Amino acid sequence: MAPVVQCMGLTKTYGRKIALNQVTLNLERGRIIGLLGPNGSGKTTLIKIMNGLLKPTAGEILISGQRPGVDTKRRISYLPERTYLQPGMKVIELVRYFQDFYPDFCVERAYDMLARLQIPPQERMKNLSKGTKEKVQLIMVMSRDAELYILDEPIAGVDPAARDFILHTIVSNYNRCGSILLSTHLIADVEDILDEVVFIKYGSIVLQAGAEQIRQNEHKSVDRFFREVFAC
Amino acid sequence: MLGKLMKYEWMATWKLLLAANLLTVVMTLLAGWMVHIMDYSSGRGMVEFVAVMVILTYVGSMFAVYVGTSIYLIYRFYTSTYGDQGYLLHTLPVDTHHIIIAKMLVSALWMLINSALIYFSVIFLFASSEDIFVSMMEGMVNVFTFLGAEKISAFTIVMTIVAYIFSLFAKVLKVGACISLGQLSANHKLMLSFAWYVGIYLVERIFQGIYFGLQLAFNVKASHMDYLFYYDSQWETTLIGGIISCVVFYVLTWYMMNQKLNLD
Repeated sequence: MAPVVQCMGLTKTYGRKIALNQVTLNLERGRIIGLLGPNGSGKTTLIKIMNGLLKPTAGEILISGQRPGVDTKRRISYLPERTYLQPGMKVIELVRYFQDFYPDFCVERAYDMLARLQIPPQERMKNLSKGTKEKVQLIMVMSRDAELYILDEPIAGVDPAARDFILHTIVSNYNRCGSILLSTHLIADVEDILDEVVFIKYGSIVLQAGAEQIRQNEHKSVDRFFREVFAC
Repeated sequence: MLGKLMKYEWMATWKLLLAANLLTVVMTLLAGWMVHIMDYSSGRGMVEFVAVMVILTYVGSMFAVYVGTSIYLIYRFYTSTYGDQGYLLHTLPVDTHHIIIAKMLVSALWMLINSALIYFSVIFLFASSEDIFVSMMEGMVNVFTFLGAEKISAFTIVMTIVAYIFSLFAKVLKVGACISLGQLSANHKLMLSFAWYVGIYLVERIFQGIYFGLQLAFNVKASHMDYLFYYDSQWETTLIGGIISCVVFYVLTWYMMNQKLNLD
Protein backbone atom coordinates (compact mmCIF):
# COMPACT_ATOMS: atom_id res chain seq x y z
CA MET A 1 0.00 0.00 0.00
CA ALA A 2 1.32 3.46 -0.95
CA PRO A 3 2.36 5.79 1.87
CA VAL A 4 -0.41 8.17 2.89
CA VAL A 5 1.72 11.15 1.81
CA GLN A 6 4.59 11.21 -0.68
CA CYS A 7 6.38 14.46 -1.49
CA MET A 8 9.02 14.46 -4.20
CA GLY A 9 11.15 17.57 -4.63
CA LEU A 10 8.25 19.77 -3.57
CA THR A 11 9.01 23.46 -3.99
CA LYS A 12 6.85 26.52 -3.46
CA THR A 13 8.00 30.04 -4.08
CA TYR A 14 6.26 33.41 -3.72
CA GLY A 15 8.18 35.68 -6.04
CA ARG A 16 11.76 35.46 -4.78
CA LYS A 17 10.77 34.05 -1.40
CA ILE A 18 11.16 30.28 -1.07
CA ALA A 19 8.46 28.84 1.21
CA LEU A 20 9.27 25.19 0.51
CA ASN A 21 12.59 24.01 -0.86
CA GLN A 22 12.87 20.58 -2.51
CA VAL A 23 10.86 18.76 0.17
CA THR A 24 11.05 14.99 -0.17
CA LEU A 25 9.03 13.16 2.43
CA ASN A 26 7.06 9.93 2.96
CA LEU A 27 4.46 9.60 5.72
CA GLU A 28 3.30 6.09 6.62
CA ARG A 29 -0.16 4.96 7.68
CA GLY A 30 -1.45 4.43 11.21
CA ARG A 31 0.83 6.94 12.88
CA ILE A 32 0.51 10.27 14.67
CA ILE A 33 3.11 12.51 13.12
CA GLY A 34 4.17 15.91 14.40
CA LEU A 35 5.10 18.49 11.77
CA LEU A 36 7.26 20.69 13.94
CA GLY A 37 8.92 23.97 13.15
CA PRO A 38 8.99 27.60 14.22
CA ASN A 39 6.61 30.18 12.78
CA GLY A 40 7.27 30.81 9.09
CA SER A 41 9.13 27.53 8.57
CA GLY A 42 6.74 26.31 5.82
CA LYS A 43 4.40 24.03 7.83
CA THR A 44 1.17 25.69 6.68
CA THR A 45 2.38 25.95 3.07
CA LEU A 46 3.09 22.20 3.01
CA ILE A 47 -0.31 21.48 4.56
CA LYS A 48 -2.13 23.71 2.08
CA ILE A 49 -0.46 21.92 -0.82
CA MET A 50 -1.54 18.56 0.63
CA ASN A 51 -5.12 19.86 0.73
CA GLY A 52 -5.04 21.28 -2.79
CA LEU A 53 -5.36 24.86 -1.50
CA LEU A 54 -2.04 25.81 -3.07
CA LYS A 55 -0.27 24.60 -6.18
CA PRO A 56 3.42 23.72 -5.86
CA THR A 57 5.87 25.63 -8.04
CA ALA A 58 7.79 22.41 -8.70
CA GLY A 59 7.84 18.79 -7.59
CA GLU A 60 4.99 16.42 -6.92
CA ILE A 61 2.80 15.38 -4.03
CA LEU A 62 0.70 12.23 -3.81
CA ILE A 63 -1.95 11.42 -1.22
CA SER A 64 -2.49 7.65 -1.07
CA GLY A 65 -0.89 7.51 -4.51
CA GLN A 66 -3.06 10.25 -6.05
CA ARG A 67 -2.49 13.88 -6.87
CA PRO A 68 -4.59 16.34 -4.81
CA GLY A 69 -8.12 16.40 -6.22
CA VAL A 70 -11.68 15.40 -5.46
CA ASP A 71 -10.69 11.88 -4.45
CA THR A 72 -7.92 12.94 -2.05
CA LYS A 73 -10.25 15.52 -0.48
CA ARG A 74 -12.58 12.64 0.31
CA ARG A 75 -9.75 10.93 2.20
CA ILE A 76 -8.40 13.94 4.13
CA SER A 77 -10.00 15.57 7.15
CA TYR A 78 -8.48 19.02 7.49
CA LEU A 79 -8.49 21.47 10.35
CA PRO A 80 -7.06 24.84 9.25
CA GLU A 81 -5.52 27.35 11.63
CA ARG A 82 -8.47 29.72 11.20
CA THR A 83 -12.23 29.70 11.62
CA TYR A 84 -13.58 28.52 8.29
CA LEU A 85 -17.21 27.90 9.16
CA GLN A 86 -20.04 30.25 8.21
CA PRO A 87 -20.79 32.50 11.21
CA GLY A 88 -24.52 32.50 10.52
CA MET A 89 -24.86 28.72 10.61
CA LYS A 90 -26.20 26.84 13.61
CA VAL A 91 -24.12 23.97 15.01
CA ILE A 92 -26.85 21.51 13.99
CA GLU A 93 -26.71 22.88 10.41
CA LEU A 94 -22.94 22.35 10.38
CA VAL A 95 -23.42 18.73 11.40
CA ARG A 96 -25.86 18.29 8.48
CA TYR A 97 -23.44 20.10 6.15
CA PHE A 98 -20.57 17.74 6.99
CA GLN A 99 -22.92 14.76 6.83
CA ASP A 100 -24.08 15.84 3.35
CA PHE A 101 -20.61 16.24 1.88
CA TYR A 102 -18.55 13.59 3.66
CA PRO A 103 -19.84 10.01 3.50
CA ASP A 104 -17.43 9.02 6.32
CA PHE A 105 -18.89 11.58 8.75
CA CYS A 106 -20.22 9.96 11.95
CA VAL A 107 -23.18 12.00 13.22
CA GLU A 108 -23.47 10.13 16.54
CA ARG A 109 -19.83 10.81 17.35
CA ALA A 110 -20.29 14.51 16.59
CA TYR A 111 -23.37 14.86 18.81
CA ASP A 112 -21.70 12.84 21.56
CA MET A 113 -18.70 15.21 21.62
CA LEU A 114 -20.96 18.28 21.44
CA ALA A 115 -23.00 16.98 24.38
CA ARG A 116 -19.90 16.29 26.44
CA LEU A 117 -18.78 19.85 25.88
CA GLN A 118 -22.29 21.19 26.49
CA ILE A 119 -22.36 22.99 23.15
CA PRO A 120 -26.03 23.57 22.23
CA PRO A 121 -26.72 22.31 18.66
CA GLN A 122 -29.17 25.18 18.09
CA GLU A 123 -26.55 27.84 18.80
CA ARG A 124 -25.19 29.90 15.92
CA MET A 125 -21.43 29.94 15.34
CA LYS A 126 -21.25 33.73 15.64
CA ASN A 127 -22.61 33.52 19.20
CA LEU A 128 -19.90 31.12 20.37
CA SER A 129 -16.61 32.16 21.95
CA LYS A 130 -13.40 31.80 19.92
CA GLY A 131 -12.35 28.74 21.91
CA THR A 132 -15.75 27.06 21.50
CA LYS A 133 -15.71 27.74 17.75
CA GLU A 134 -12.35 25.99 17.55
CA LYS A 135 -13.74 23.06 19.49
CA VAL A 136 -16.74 22.81 17.15
CA GLN A 137 -14.38 22.77 14.16
CA LEU A 138 -12.28 20.07 15.77
CA ILE A 139 -15.38 18.01 16.52
CA MET A 140 -16.48 18.21 12.87
CA VAL A 141 -13.02 17.19 11.65
CA MET A 142 -12.57 14.35 14.15
CA SER A 143 -16.07 12.96 13.53
CA ARG A 144 -14.90 11.67 10.18
CA ASP A 145 -13.31 8.29 9.53
CA ALA A 146 -10.61 9.73 7.31
CA GLU A 147 -7.40 8.18 5.99
CA LEU A 148 -5.45 11.28 6.91
CA TYR A 149 -6.22 13.95 9.49
CA ILE A 150 -4.31 17.15 8.92
CA LEU A 151 -4.50 19.46 11.91
CA ASP A 152 -2.82 22.83 11.51
CA GLU A 153 -1.92 24.37 14.87
CA PRO A 154 -4.91 22.86 16.69
CA ILE A 155 -3.72 23.97 20.13
CA ALA A 156 -2.34 27.40 19.34
CA GLY A 157 -4.19 30.21 21.07
CA VAL A 158 -6.19 28.08 23.52
CA ASP A 159 -5.80 27.75 27.28
CA PRO A 160 -4.04 24.68 28.79
CA ALA A 161 -7.33 23.07 29.87
CA ALA A 162 -8.68 23.36 26.34
CA ARG A 163 -5.41 21.93 25.00
CA ASP A 164 -5.94 18.81 27.08
CA PHE A 165 -9.47 18.45 25.71
CA ILE A 166 -8.29 18.93 22.14
CA LEU A 167 -5.48 16.38 22.41
CA HIS A 168 -7.79 13.92 24.18
CA THR A 169 -10.39 14.40 21.42
CA ILE A 170 -7.80 13.80 18.73
CA VAL A 171 -6.35 10.67 20.29
CA SER A 172 -9.66 9.08 21.23
CA ASN A 173 -11.59 9.75 18.01
CA TYR A 174 -9.36 9.23 15.02
CA ASN A 175 -9.69 6.34 12.61
CA ARG A 176 -7.00 3.86 13.80
CA CYS A 177 -6.24 2.84 10.21
CA GLY A 178 -5.54 6.45 9.30
CA SER A 179 -2.72 8.82 10.16
CA ILE A 180 -2.65 12.19 11.86
CA LEU A 181 -0.37 14.97 10.73
CA LEU A 182 -0.31 17.54 13.49
CA SER A 183 1.44 20.82 12.92
CA THR A 184 2.55 22.87 15.92
CA HIS A 185 5.34 24.78 17.52
CA LEU A 186 4.11 23.88 21.04
CA ILE A 187 6.07 20.62 21.24
CA ALA A 188 5.86 19.98 24.99
CA ASP A 189 2.07 19.79 24.88
CA VAL A 190 1.89 17.23 22.07
CA GLU A 191 5.07 15.24 22.60
CA ASP A 192 3.40 12.40 24.48
CA ILE A 193 0.99 11.53 21.70
CA LEU A 194 3.44 11.61 18.79
CA ASP A 195 4.80 8.46 17.13
CA GLU A 196 6.98 10.32 14.69
CA VAL A 197 8.27 13.85 14.17
CA VAL A 198 9.24 15.87 11.12
CA PHE A 199 11.33 18.99 11.74
CA ILE A 200 10.97 21.72 9.14
CA LYS A 201 13.21 24.78 8.95
CA TYR A 202 13.30 27.51 6.31
CA GLY A 203 11.14 25.36 4.03
CA SER A 204 13.39 22.30 4.20
CA ILE A 205 12.98 19.05 6.11
CA VAL A 206 15.86 18.79 8.57
CA LEU A 207 14.81 15.62 10.38
CA GLN A 208 12.28 12.80 10.19
CA ALA A 209 12.46 10.28 13.00
CA GLY A 210 10.44 8.33 15.57
CA ALA A 211 9.70 10.25 18.77
CA GLU A 212 10.96 7.35 20.89
CA GLN A 213 14.07 7.05 18.74
CA ILE A 214 14.95 10.71 19.44
CA ARG A 215 14.45 10.24 23.17
CA GLN A 216 16.70 7.11 23.18
CA ASN A 217 19.44 8.39 20.87
CA GLU A 218 19.62 11.96 22.13
CA HIS A 219 18.73 11.20 25.78
CA LYS A 220 16.39 14.15 25.89
CA SER A 221 12.80 14.98 25.20
CA VAL A 222 11.65 15.91 21.71
CA ASP A 223 10.87 19.39 23.05
CA ARG A 224 14.43 19.80 24.39
CA PHE A 225 15.90 18.48 21.14
CA PHE A 226 13.67 20.81 19.09
CA ARG A 227 14.91 23.81 21.08
CA GLU A 228 18.52 22.82 20.30
CA VAL A 229 17.89 22.29 16.60
CA PHE A 230 16.00 25.54 16.23
CA ALA A 231 18.08 27.67 18.63
CA CYS A 232 18.43 31.23 17.35
CA MET B 1 -23.03 17.24 -5.18
CA LEU B 2 -24.21 20.14 -7.37
CA GLY B 3 -27.65 20.02 -5.75
CA LYS B 4 -26.12 20.08 -2.26
CA LEU B 5 -23.85 22.99 -3.11
CA MET B 6 -26.83 24.91 -4.49
CA LYS B 7 -28.89 24.11 -1.41
CA TYR B 8 -26.24 25.52 0.94
CA GLU B 9 -25.58 28.52 -1.32
CA TRP B 10 -29.29 29.29 -1.22
CA MET B 11 -29.43 28.79 2.56
CA ALA B 12 -26.51 31.19 3.02
CA THR B 13 -28.16 33.96 1.01
CA TRP B 14 -31.93 33.70 1.28
CA LYS B 15 -32.56 35.48 4.57
CA LEU B 16 -30.96 38.82 3.74
CA LEU B 17 -32.07 38.87 0.11
CA LEU B 18 -35.62 37.85 0.96
CA ALA B 19 -35.75 40.73 3.44
CA ALA B 20 -34.48 43.11 0.74
CA ASN B 21 -37.11 41.88 -1.72
CA LEU B 22 -39.85 42.15 0.91
CA LEU B 23 -38.79 45.75 1.36
CA THR B 24 -39.34 46.22 -2.38
CA VAL B 25 -42.86 44.84 -2.06
CA VAL B 26 -43.71 46.97 0.97
CA MET B 27 -42.33 50.14 -0.62
CA THR B 28 -44.21 49.39 -3.85
CA LEU B 29 -47.52 49.03 -2.00
CA LEU B 30 -46.85 52.20 -0.04
CA ALA B 31 -45.81 54.21 -3.11
CA GLY B 32 -48.78 52.82 -5.09
CA TRP B 33 -51.11 53.96 -2.33
CA MET B 34 -49.54 57.41 -2.39
CA VAL B 35 -49.94 57.67 -6.18
CA HIS B 36 -53.59 56.69 -5.74
CA ILE B 37 -54.06 59.31 -3.01
CA MET B 38 -52.44 61.98 -5.20
CA ASP B 39 -55.06 61.22 -7.88
CA TYR B 40 -57.77 62.39 -5.49
CA SER B 41 -55.86 64.85 -3.30
CA SER B 42 -57.01 67.88 -5.33
CA GLY B 43 -54.13 70.11 -4.29
CA ARG B 44 -53.96 69.40 -0.56
CA GLY B 45 -50.38 70.54 0.03
CA MET B 46 -49.41 68.41 3.02
CA VAL B 47 -50.82 65.20 1.56
CA GLU B 48 -49.01 65.75 -1.72
CA PHE B 49 -45.79 66.58 0.10
CA VAL B 50 -45.95 63.31 2.09
CA ALA B 51 -46.85 61.37 -1.05
CA VAL B 52 -43.92 62.81 -3.00
CA MET B 53 -41.55 62.04 -0.12
CA VAL B 54 -42.78 58.45 0.02
CA ILE B 55 -42.40 58.06 -3.76
CA LEU B 56 -38.87 59.47 -3.58
CA THR B 57 -38.07 57.03 -0.77
CA TYR B 58 -39.50 54.27 -2.96
CA VAL B 59 -37.21 55.23 -5.85
CA GLY B 60 -34.23 55.34 -3.47
CA SER B 61 -35.10 51.99 -1.93
CA MET B 62 -35.47 50.33 -5.36
CA PHE B 63 -32.02 51.57 -6.30
CA ALA B 64 -30.58 50.53 -2.92
CA VAL B 65 -32.10 47.04 -3.13
CA TYR B 66 -30.81 46.50 -6.67
CA VAL B 67 -27.29 47.75 -5.95
CA GLY B 68 -27.28 46.14 -2.49
CA THR B 69 -28.23 42.74 -3.90
CA SER B 70 -25.40 42.92 -6.44
CA ILE B 71 -22.86 44.02 -3.82
CA TYR B 72 -24.01 41.34 -1.38
CA LEU B 73 -23.70 38.60 -4.02
CA ILE B 74 -20.19 39.80 -4.93
CA TYR B 75 -19.22 39.91 -1.24
CA ARG B 76 -20.67 36.44 -0.72
CA PHE B 77 -18.71 35.05 -3.69
CA TYR B 78 -15.48 36.62 -2.45
CA THR B 79 -15.71 35.53 1.21
CA SER B 80 -17.00 32.04 0.54
CA THR B 81 -14.53 31.31 -2.24
CA TYR B 82 -11.34 33.19 -1.45
CA GLY B 83 -11.87 34.27 2.18
CA ASP B 84 -11.64 32.06 5.29
CA GLN B 85 -14.72 30.06 4.23
CA GLY B 86 -12.82 29.13 1.06
CA TYR B 87 -10.80 26.74 3.23
CA LEU B 88 -13.94 24.68 3.69
CA LEU B 89 -15.31 25.11 0.17
CA HIS B 90 -12.10 24.09 -1.56
CA THR B 91 -11.53 21.06 0.67
CA LEU B 92 -14.98 19.63 0.02
CA PRO B 93 -14.84 16.54 -2.21
CA VAL B 94 -16.61 18.32 -5.06
CA ASP B 95 -15.64 19.20 -8.59
CA THR B 96 -14.65 22.81 -9.29
CA HIS B 97 -17.24 22.89 -12.10
CA HIS B 98 -19.97 22.21 -9.54
CA ILE B 99 -18.75 25.03 -7.30
CA ILE B 100 -18.85 27.55 -10.14
CA ILE B 101 -22.20 26.37 -11.53
CA ALA B 102 -23.86 26.36 -8.09
CA LYS B 103 -22.73 29.90 -7.35
CA MET B 104 -23.64 31.12 -10.81
CA LEU B 105 -27.15 29.64 -10.76
CA VAL B 106 -28.05 30.89 -7.28
CA SER B 107 -26.68 34.40 -7.92
CA ALA B 108 -28.41 34.62 -11.32
CA LEU B 109 -31.68 33.44 -9.75
CA TRP B 110 -31.52 36.17 -7.11
CA MET B 111 -30.76 38.81 -9.74
CA LEU B 112 -33.65 37.54 -11.83
CA ILE B 113 -36.04 37.68 -8.86
CA ASN B 114 -34.76 41.13 -7.99
CA SER B 115 -35.11 42.50 -11.54
CA ALA B 116 -38.56 40.95 -12.02
CA LEU B 117 -39.78 42.44 -8.74
CA ILE B 118 -38.54 45.91 -9.67
CA TYR B 119 -40.10 45.60 -13.13
CA PHE B 120 -43.50 44.57 -11.76
CA SER B 121 -43.19 47.18 -9.04
CA VAL B 122 -42.87 49.98 -11.60
CA ILE B 123 -45.86 48.64 -13.58
CA PHE B 124 -47.89 48.43 -10.35
CA LEU B 125 -46.94 51.99 -9.50
CA PHE B 126 -48.13 53.30 -12.87
CA ALA B 127 -51.25 51.17 -12.66
CA SER B 128 -52.07 52.80 -9.31
CA SER B 129 -53.03 56.00 -11.11
CA GLU B 130 -55.76 55.57 -13.67
CA ASP B 131 -54.65 58.63 -15.67
CA ILE B 132 -50.99 57.67 -15.83
CA PHE B 133 -51.81 54.03 -16.60
CA VAL B 134 -54.09 54.88 -19.50
CA SER B 135 -51.59 57.34 -20.98
CA MET B 136 -48.76 54.85 -20.55
CA MET B 137 -50.70 52.03 -22.23
CA GLU B 138 -51.67 54.28 -25.13
CA GLY B 139 -48.08 55.43 -25.50
CA MET B 140 -46.77 51.86 -25.48
CA VAL B 141 -49.34 50.72 -28.07
CA ASN B 142 -48.33 53.63 -30.32
CA VAL B 143 -44.63 52.83 -29.97
CA PHE B 144 -45.15 49.11 -30.65
CA THR B 145 -47.40 49.82 -33.64
CA PHE B 146 -44.79 52.22 -35.05
CA LEU B 147 -42.07 49.62 -34.61
CA GLY B 148 -44.20 46.87 -36.18
CA ALA B 149 -44.24 44.78 -33.00
CA GLU B 150 -47.16 42.65 -34.23
CA LYS B 151 -44.78 41.07 -36.74
CA ILE B 152 -42.51 39.78 -33.94
CA SER B 153 -42.83 35.99 -33.77
CA ALA B 154 -43.21 33.92 -30.61
CA PHE B 155 -39.83 32.39 -31.48
CA THR B 156 -38.19 35.84 -31.30
CA ILE B 157 -39.79 36.49 -27.91
CA VAL B 158 -38.62 33.12 -26.53
CA MET B 159 -35.12 33.63 -27.92
CA THR B 160 -35.01 37.13 -26.42
CA ILE B 161 -35.74 35.63 -23.00
CA VAL B 162 -33.08 32.93 -23.54
CA ALA B 163 -30.60 35.63 -24.61
CA TYR B 164 -31.42 37.64 -21.47
CA ILE B 165 -30.77 34.61 -19.26
CA PHE B 166 -27.39 34.01 -20.90
CA SER B 167 -26.45 37.66 -20.50
CA LEU B 168 -27.40 37.37 -16.81
CA PHE B 169 -25.12 34.31 -16.42
CA ALA B 170 -22.38 36.23 -18.24
CA LYS B 171 -22.71 39.14 -15.78
CA VAL B 172 -22.38 36.82 -12.78
CA LEU B 173 -19.48 34.88 -14.32
CA LYS B 174 -17.69 38.09 -15.25
CA VAL B 175 -17.63 39.19 -11.61
CA GLY B 176 -16.48 35.70 -10.56
CA ALA B 177 -13.72 35.73 -13.17
CA CYS B 178 -12.50 39.20 -12.12
CA ILE B 179 -12.41 38.24 -8.43
CA SER B 180 -10.58 35.03 -9.35
CA LEU B 181 -8.07 36.89 -11.51
CA GLY B 182 -7.50 39.31 -8.63
CA GLN B 183 -6.05 36.38 -6.68
CA LEU B 184 -2.95 36.60 -8.87
CA SER B 185 -1.83 39.50 -6.72
CA ALA B 186 -0.18 38.65 -3.42
CA ASN B 187 -1.12 41.83 -1.56
CA HIS B 188 -3.75 43.76 -3.57
CA LYS B 189 -6.27 41.14 -4.58
CA LEU B 190 -9.36 43.36 -4.42
CA MET B 191 -7.68 46.21 -6.27
CA LEU B 192 -6.53 43.87 -9.03
CA SER B 193 -10.04 42.35 -9.26
CA PHE B 194 -11.47 45.83 -9.78
CA ALA B 195 -8.80 46.65 -12.37
CA TRP B 196 -9.68 43.45 -14.26
CA TYR B 197 -13.36 44.40 -14.17
CA VAL B 198 -12.69 47.88 -15.58
CA GLY B 199 -10.37 46.44 -18.24
CA ILE B 200 -12.86 43.79 -19.36
CA TYR B 201 -15.69 46.35 -19.35
CA LEU B 202 -13.70 48.64 -21.67
CA VAL B 203 -12.83 45.79 -24.05
CA GLU B 204 -16.51 44.75 -24.16
CA ARG B 205 -17.62 48.32 -24.92
CA ILE B 206 -15.06 48.64 -27.73
CA PHE B 207 -16.24 45.38 -29.37
CA GLN B 208 -19.89 46.39 -28.92
CA GLY B 209 -19.22 49.82 -30.44
CA ILE B 210 -17.53 48.30 -33.49
CA TYR B 211 -20.31 45.71 -33.92
CA PHE B 212 -23.21 48.17 -33.63
CA GLY B 213 -21.41 50.65 -35.89
CA LEU B 214 -21.12 48.01 -38.61
CA GLN B 215 -24.72 46.89 -38.07
CA LEU B 216 -26.03 50.42 -38.35
CA ALA B 217 -23.98 51.05 -41.50
CA PHE B 218 -25.43 47.97 -43.22
CA ASN B 219 -28.97 48.77 -42.05
CA VAL B 220 -28.78 52.35 -43.35
CA LYS B 221 -27.42 51.05 -46.66
CA ALA B 222 -30.69 49.14 -47.06
CA SER B 223 -32.24 52.65 -47.44
CA HIS B 224 -34.82 52.16 -44.65
CA MET B 225 -34.82 51.08 -40.99
CA ASP B 226 -35.98 47.46 -40.91
CA TYR B 227 -37.21 47.08 -37.33
CA LEU B 228 -37.95 43.38 -37.70
CA PHE B 229 -34.34 42.90 -38.72
CA TYR B 230 -33.44 44.96 -35.67
CA TYR B 231 -35.40 42.70 -33.26
CA ASP B 232 -33.95 39.52 -34.74
CA SER B 233 -30.41 40.83 -34.77
CA GLN B 234 -30.89 42.09 -31.18
CA TRP B 235 -31.56 38.69 -29.65
CA GLU B 236 -29.01 37.01 -31.90
CA THR B 237 -26.33 39.50 -30.88
CA THR B 238 -27.24 39.29 -27.18
CA LEU B 239 -27.34 35.48 -27.30
CA ILE B 240 -24.05 35.05 -29.17
CA GLY B 241 -22.36 37.70 -27.02
CA GLY B 242 -23.80 36.10 -23.86
CA ILE B 243 -22.65 32.61 -24.80
CA ILE B 244 -19.14 33.77 -25.76
CA SER B 245 -18.85 35.78 -22.51
CA CYS B 246 -20.15 32.83 -20.45
CA VAL B 247 -17.58 30.47 -21.97
CA VAL B 248 -14.67 32.90 -21.58
CA PHE B 249 -15.48 33.92 -17.99
CA TYR B 250 -16.33 30.36 -16.94
CA VAL B 251 -13.04 28.98 -18.29
CA LEU B 252 -11.10 31.81 -16.61
CA THR B 253 -12.78 31.20 -13.25
CA TRP B 254 -12.29 27.44 -13.52
CA TYR B 255 -8.63 27.84 -14.48
CA MET B 256 -7.95 30.18 -11.57
CA MET B 257 -9.72 27.95 -9.04
CA ASN B 258 -8.22 24.74 -10.35
CA GLN B 259 -4.71 25.73 -11.33
CA LYS B 260 -3.89 28.97 -9.54
CA LEU B 261 -5.69 28.71 -6.24
CA ASN B 262 -3.71 30.69 -3.70
CA LEU B 263 -5.59 31.11 -0.43
CA ASP B 264 -3.89 33.41 2.09
